[in-house]
Amino acid sequence: MAYKPQYGPGSSTIADNRRKYMDPASKLEKVRDITDEDLVLVLGHRAPGSAYKTAHPPLAEQQEPACPIRKLVTPTDGAKAGDRIRYIQFADSMYNAPCHPYLRSYLEAYKFRGIDPGTLSGRQILECRERDLEKYSKELVNTVLFDPARTAIRGCTVHGHSLRLAEDGMMFDMLQRCVLDKKSGIVKYVKDQVGVPLDKEVKVGKPMDEKWLKAHSGIFHSLVGVPFRSDAEYIEYVQRVHSLRTKYGFMPKE
Amino acid sequence: MTDAKFPQVRIAAERLLNPETLERLLNLIMKTEGIRRVLLNGPRLPATIPYGPSHGLDNPHEMRKNIKVGDQEVELQVHVGTILLEIENRDVIPALKDACDQVFTQFTYRIQEGRYMKTEPTTSDYAKYGPDADRMILGLADPKSKSGPVILQGIK
Repeated sequence: MAYKPQYGPGSSTIADNRRKYMDPASKLEKVRDITDEDLVLVLGHRAPGSAYKTAHPPLAEQQEPACPIRKLVTPTDGAKAGDRIRYIQFADSMYNAPCHPYLRSYLEAYKFRGIDPGTLSGRQILECRERDLEKYSKELVNTVLFDPARTAIRGCTVHGHSLRLAEDGMMFDMLQRCVLDKKSGIVKYVKDQVGVPLDKEVKVGKPMDEKWLKAHSGIFHSLVGVPFRSDAEYIEYVQRVHSLRTKYGFMPKE
Repeated sequence: MTDAKFPQVRIAAERLLNPETLERLLNLIMKTEGIRRVLLNGPRLPATIPYGPSHGLDNPHEMRKNIKVGDQEVELQVHVGTILLEIENRDVIPALKDACDQVFTQFTYRIQEGRYMKTEPTTSDYAKYGPDADRMILGLADPKSKSGPVILQGIK
């Protein structure tokens, strides 16, 4: 029988969502449409419409050494053009954010090429060639992986993941890069990801409701979401990994 | 600095509080007799961005406002999540619960009793205030900050 990857253990909705998000064959549901220009503004790496800055000449123009690996691996568009490396960083709230840092790195590794994800407890950074970054960022922001209130694009000063939410349901942000418009209920970015004020507001849509967030969350939470201890299969798997790792620490002879 | 003979309570709401909510709560609390000291805790909201690529720029934030508690203006420097109180005796706690019940209608809260304030002056306290510091103000404001605690007129 052919091997079929499982992507992760568990029988809860969280485990289901994690598998769904990681599986490269399953297409992520699109829930909003942020334009390329708006995304470039929030990223803050270049002015919208300006040329991509390069780190080296395009591959077609430079002499490539004879290398079998280079023949095997097709370069991404950004690598082909010699773009510089840029980044996008997300902070995800513990309170039922659709995605969370570890899951982000896993799913990006499954879905995208030519990337360097960096995972921390409350934030996750994705580094790659600039034009690839814009393409990947669009997928990360326009699909179910993003919620305007519980997920934020933050290049620095990311604190907020483990804090209680504000009264309006927004995750804490010292720089208040995005604000919830009380009249329209739409979240608007007024600063780019590193906190430099934008000339134009970028609207990212209305925050999702609690029911939707709970159904699409990729993070366990014992108080506001699905408790980790309710998923016996997940616990069994984690305990097995822990046990094997611990035993291996003593170098058992088999 | 705390004195072991006075009880302390901590009010923690489910959400970080808006300045308007906090103002309502503090005004209700200040009507209670027997509050000695109040400390507002939460993540800091600096007026200018202290570091990073946007270092030095103004940092307008909806949650950093001046609120009026009694007759006194209080400048909020944090997004308040926890309120620590030192009270004269435990009889004050039901009044605090009443105040919280009136204000926290959209989300839950809890009041806990324990020891939450500083018990000994730190090296920073000593460097700032010296050996003869007023022990009432120790622990109420960051000793490295230029601003001190706000003194509110109680009803006693």
